[in-house]
Amino acid sequence: MASYDPSFAREVFENVDYGEEIKMCMQCGVCAASCPLSMRMDYSPRKIFVMIRAGKREEVLNSNAIMLCTSCYSCKVRCPRGIPVIDVMHGLANYAIRQGYTPRKKTAVFGQEFWKQIYRLGRIDEKDLSRRYFFADGFTQGIRNSLEMADMGITMFLHKRMKLLPERPIKGIKDLRKMLDKAAQMGKGGGGAI
Amino acid sequence: MEKKTAVYICTGCGIGDALDVGKLLEIATDDYSIPICKEHPFLCGPEGVEVIKKDIQEEGINTIIIAACSPRVNYDVFNFGADKIVERVNLREQVVWMQPPGEEDTQMLAEDNLRMGCSKANDTELPEPFKPEEEISKDILVVGGGLAGLTAALETAKAGYKAVLVEKEDRLGGFLTKMKKLVTMPYKELSDTGLEDLVKAVEDNPNIKVYTSSTVEKISGAPGLFSVEIKGNGNSATEKVGAIVQATGWVPYDANKLDHLGYGKFKDVVTNVEMEEMAAAGKITRPSDGKDVKNVLFVQCAGSRDPEHLPYCSSVCCLVSLKQAAYIKEQNPEAVNYILYKDMRTLGQAEDFYKKAQLDGNVFVRGSVANVGEEGGKLFVEADDELLGERIRIEDLDLVVLAVGMVPSTQPDEIPRIPAPEGAEGADEEGMIEVTPDSGFYATKALGLEYRQGPELPTLKYGFPDSHFICFPYETRRTGIYTAGCVRRPMETAKVIDDATGAAMKAIQCTEATSVGMAVHPRSGDMSYPEFNMQRCTQCKRCTEECPFGAINEDEKANPLPNPTRCRRCGVCMGACPERIISFKNYSVPMIGNMIKAIEVPEEDEEKPRIVALVCENDAYAALDMAGIRRMQISPYVRFIPVRCLGSVNLVWIADALSRGIDGILLMGCRYGDDYQCHFIKGSELANTRLTKVSETLDRLALESDRVKFVEVGITDYEKIPKIIEEFMETIEEVGPNPYKGW
Repeated sequence: MASYDPSFAREVFENVDYGEEIKMCMQCGVCAASCPLSMRMDYSPRKIFVMIRAGKREEVLNSNAIMLCTSCYSCKVRCPRGIPVIDVMHGLANYAIRQGYTPRKKTAVFGQEFWKQIYRLGRIDEKDLSRRYFFADGFTQGIRNSLEMADMGITMFLHKRMKLLPERPIKGIKDLRKMLDKAAQMGKGGGGAI
Repeated sequence: MEKKTAVYICTGCGIGDALDVGKLLEIATDDYSIPICKEHPFLCGPEGVEVIKKDIQEEGINTIIIAACSPRVNYDVFNFGADKIVERVNLREQVVWMQPPGEEDTQMLAEDNLRMGCSKANDTELPEPFKPEEEISKDILVVGGGLAGLTAALETAKAGYKAVLVEKEDRLGGFLTKMKKLVTMPYKELSDTGLEDLVKAVEDNPNIKVYTSSTVEKISGAPGLFSVEIKGNGNSATEKVGAIVQATGWVPYDANKLDHLGYGKFKDVVTNVEMEEMAAAGKITRPSDGKDVKNVLFVQCAGSRDPEHLPYCSSVCCLVSLKQAAYIKEQNPEAVNYILYKDMRTLGQAEDFYKKAQLDGNVFVRGSVANVGEEGGKLFVEADDELLGERIRIEDLDLVVLAVGMVPSTQPDEIPRIPAPEGAEGADEEGMIEVTPDSGFYATKALGLEYRQGPELPTLKYGFPDSHFICFPYETRRTGIYTAGCVRRPMETAKVIDDATGAAMKAIQCTEATSVGMAVHPRSGDMSYPEFNMQRCTQCKRCTEECPFGAINEDEKANPLPNPTRCRRCGVCMGACPERIISFKNYSVPMIGNMIKAIEVPEEDEEKPRIVALVCENDAYAALDMAGIRRMQISPYVRFIPVRCLGSVNLVWIADALSRGIDGILLMGCRYGDDYQCHFIKGSELANTRLTKVSETLDRLALESDRVKFVEVGITDYEKIPKIIEEFMETIEEVGPNPYKGW
């Protein structure tokens, strides 16, 4: 029989961006009902929140639910308590990765690579990002992934959506980095590239 | 008074198009010798009313029969002063709108209605207000000095009336004295109880007389004329009051019955009341060893919403636990409060306090307790967490608080027993029988009324004093006695204040109405009251026992002793009396009997049956009107006679009807039983019971008992009216015409 442990909840309030908002959750379930990805999640958003309060640390930080959030806002606009559900979910995902958990490794990798690119260039270099993403699991797998997506890549190139040469950073990249650094400072460790 | 009668028929609203009004006027003039009979196309308009007023002034008319719309409308228009008799004949909703125009049967129906109206006006006398010999008091007695009692007394005084407040403890405040803080409007944070200021306001008020350490020993009399004996502090005092507010409050549910939740087993399991007392006394600590409290678990619905204990919700316990959780946090911000609930019932704006409790970091667990135990000096609770979907264990608890519910002070600890009447079932070896809650002998002592029907207010569900709570919340089954606060329903302090204010207002209303001889409710403004012709009384006691409001006592000779100011003018006594000695000036047994006799009953070969429907004025008559407004068509053979309550139906009317050749009698009245709608509580139930006796008589007379039927009709049942009438007509067709026709 599981014991209720309030320490994880406290951990979340202190370390997860927007984590303290889940105090207001009254478990109505509207978030779970409106989430388009809830059927793919191991635990619905509502369940995640009650599990945090119960102290189920491993289940929450290992859950794929926190990685599956697409920021569609269906939950956040409906929450009667005004909880910024997507921000909490992303905050939890970020925290999980910082703590060394990688549920849904592919999503974690893509997210991090995307973010690093933004920080580096101020824009996305599609082929560079794809390359890093495809080859995250090693060379051979990387070749396989690239071949699978070859059609998409060629079409993008032909439609001038992808350059062969590396992208240059944006003009105001130094200012952008200052902004992102400041945002990282303001958060609970969730801002900035991990 | 010498009557000068006039009949006015309105031809508007389709009446003139559907009926031969000339014929109607002839009937009034020829058959009833009415000197003035007129018609008018728009009687309720200013010109129409002017015609009537002119006749009143110039011809000295004082009895006005208006054959037009339903008596439920335009009563303000056709009001010509308290010294005039106004009789309304319903030609619109119940004739012209429910029947095809120009038909012979429609005309016959209209004619019968007019005949009945003329007959009724003939038998009506102007009521004279009841003026007792003794002077009427307008003071209000408030029993109970808690928040409800204090507020009722204060509001009475503010309205300019005097109040007498009786409190059994030595200090005022009731449960409020045990509270540390309140949660009330605007529900954002804890508030002070305000007790000191409230008590001071009451004690300083010159219009309020306070008796502490005192109880009400005995109350005799009636509204306006109550004589109250108060005992306390070794003294006795008598007060004369006009109305009473009972605000005797509540007691917490006995937690000793909740040992399955650990109460009595573990010292650190306490009730919410004990928790509040601890907080108010100073610091909340563990009762077992006096150490500090860090982890607390509140068990909501402890013994509430549970068929084994209190089946109902006490509405305040959720907020109380949140309040107490706030006390814990105030004491120690690091403390953890768990709230184990079935539902969080923080209604309306109280939701803001729930939000605050959440913001404070309290842990809400939705589930039910499986087990409470002790380990290493601390408590643990195992519960089925509904939201997590598994059984969980919350341990390391210093305190478990059981949120118990409220039991009204009227609920006795043990069900009282009285000597069993002869032939009663369920009597024990000593010949005693349990009293039903539905009687004046059940509730715990608070008033000591010298009423034949019992010293206390009759209760209904769960020991709360009964009232027709939808329509008349503060009213009880005793006129002039109103309940306020948690004795009538568990409620929080904000509601108690409202409630007490309302009850005080009703009490004042009662004394004012009684002082001019008017009935208080539901027949507000009714000046008539039952008069008894004692010469023919056989002391059968039916009126005394059947009065739903205990208005009739018994004198030394066992004759009924009516108390008119207790009376609600329903007429149940009139219906009960087999000797028919009871009557009102404007409502009597011969009156309705004559109305029935005024109906023209065609011969058997004309194949036009005649039905008399006795219709209660509360719901059934209104439902009929509504069916008429919706132009629902029914059989033209039914003659509707409004009665005050089906309880006032005297069985002689049925005999009269049948002996005149009426083929069937339909009684249409309100629902009775636990969820009763009858405004006179027992009226329709009594009518139904009496009818069972009638079937015996009918069978003996070789008349089919199917001819008399009782139907429950609520105001929302108007669509069922056509079906009800149709079914009854079918039954009458089957049994055939009354063999006594033409005799």
